[in-house]
Amino acid sequence: MQSVSKSYQDFQVLDIPQLDLSTGIYWLKGENGAGKTTTMKVLAGVLPFRGNITLNGHVNSRQQPVQYRRLINYAEAEPLYPAYLTGRDLLELYFRTKGGDRQPVLEMSAKMGVDNFVNNPVSSYSSGMLKKLSLLLAFVGKPAVILLDEPLITIDAKTVAQLYDFIREVHAEGVSFIITSHQPLDSGRLSIAGTLTIENKNLILN
Amino acid sequence: MGVFNRIFVRRFFVENIGFFLILFYFLFGMVNASNLLYYHMGLMEGFLTGNSFLTLVLVLWLLYNFKCIGFVIKTLQLPQYSFLYDTMTCMVARERKTLWWRLHFRMYLPVFIYGGIAAVLGICKQYFVPAAIILVFNMAMCIWPVWLYEKKLWQPDVFFFATRFSRWLNKLFIKPPVLYFYYELFTAFPRKIFTTKIWSAAVLWLTFFLMGQSDFYDVRALQLGMIVSVLLHTQLMIHHRAFDEIYLPFMQNLPMSTWRHYSRVVGIYALMLAPEAIMLFFQSAGQFTLFPLFTCIVTGISMLILFRVLLYFPRMNAEVHLRWILVISFVMLFMILGDVTWWAILGLHVLAAGIFFRKFWAYEPWLESE
Repeated sequence: MQSVSKSYQDFQVLDIPQLDLSTGIYWLKGENGAGKTTTMKVLAGVLPFRGNITLNGHVNSRQQPVQYRRLINYAEAEPLYPAYLTGRDLLELYFRTKGGDRQPVLEMSAKMGVDNFVNNPVSSYSSGMLKKLSLLLAFVGKPAVILLDEPLITIDAKTVAQLYDFIREVHAEGVSFIITSHQPLDSGRLSIAGTLTIENKNLILN
Repeated sequence: MGVFNRIFVRRFFVENIGFFLILFYFLFGMVNASNLLYYHMGLMEGFLTGNSFLTLVLVLWLLYNFKCIGFVIKTLQLPQYSFLYDTMTCMVARERKTLWWRLHFRMYLPVFIYGGIAAVLGICKQYFVPAAIILVFNMAMCIWPVWLYEKKLWQPDVFFFATRFSRWLNKLFIKPPVLYFYYELFTAFPRKIFTTKIWSAAVLWLTFFLMGQSDFYDVRALQLGMIVSVLLHTQLMIHHRAFDEIYLPFMQNLPMSTWRHYSRVVGIYALMLAPEAIMLFFQSAGQFTLFPLFTCIVTGISMLILFRVLLYFPRMNAEVHLRWILVISFVMLFMILGDVTWWAILGLHVLAAGIFFRKFWAYEPWLESE
């Protein structure tokens, strides 16, 4: 990240002069309102910002916006989709745009139990079901980085255990993770490469 | 009765406004107003005299009946209406069955009226057997669902076929992003789209009527009608922007080019004028060749695209938007009167694409401060 700043109208939220991250799993910490979700959204390309973000050393968010988005996936803390879309509509949209191998995602879907309700509109989902779908979508394609915003909330203990397994498996293939969570991440299940904190609008690697 | 009427009948018609709108277009919008009565009399005589046609009509009425039944059953499955089980099961059986019958009859009424008129026409024209079939069929359609509602009421956990059907349909058909906004309109704002389309159809019909009265068919007059029709559609755009802001931010994380996002906007507004295009084609009845009609539709679509794209200026609130819309419409009108329509269309597209490509990735909702 180089000279990344983000303001909401006149109010500056982020000001990151420089940050380099190598492959790994990072825990992004911060108080409520510190700017964790904004950081995630900026990284995901969902929010406009000033500056440059480069992935894999050469894919720039401004110069190669499509390629950049193919390399970075994002699961929101509180996902929101149009009520009438089904899980399958969304999965197909992600498969079509993000590409990648379907099979591992479909296997993940079966393990999480998403395939039981994937043909129903999201309006009929509980918050946990919606969260599971959103997490599943974050694993579609061939990402270099997966951003998980509060992945541990609203899902059951079994799914939390499965999520740790998925993260470990996918990370073993060279995918990095940035995870925000108010609960501490289980260091016995995941090897955390570093902790990111937001201090004075700057993102600092500890 | 009032509360049940509100829960079932009124909600049924409000939530299915989109469906009735399409039906209205097919039955009345595509036919020249002066031939409407003869068209329907011909249609009725067609199914009164042809067995296969009559079968087809009865199947369509049966499908409509399934729609009514599906709505009642789904309502009974909604958690907010669970109190119906506690209350309706306390009613006297005869009273409750009569209530079911009355509710269902009201929902089935559009078909019953059409079928009734067809049956009366059949009797007048001495087609007694098909008229009797139509009467008996429609009466049966009003009575047998009562049995189903009773079954559902006493066995709430019975799996209803509509759920299975909708799941099957969802498996079969993946909703393309270009239709997302239409699903939103027809489910969240059915009244808005219905009234917009009715007024738009009325404006175009009036345009043709006035041209017919003066026997002066000029494409520029038609273009004026189209501009008014476009202006009526602009009220939907604020909803479109809000919908994109609330529900579609996830699409910005998808690896889609700006062209692809732009083509989605173009697709949405091209589809929006599809009913008007059909109406123009049938109403023109040989008065215009295809090219002026095509020009007219392209003008409308181009204006809609630019008007929507203007909302990518974050500070463009409804009031400022309307001002710009009116200014652009006046400029368009004068360019059309000056016979430079295609140059005007080109200008609209260049402007729309320019704004979109410049603003799309930079757009953020503007928070109005007091």
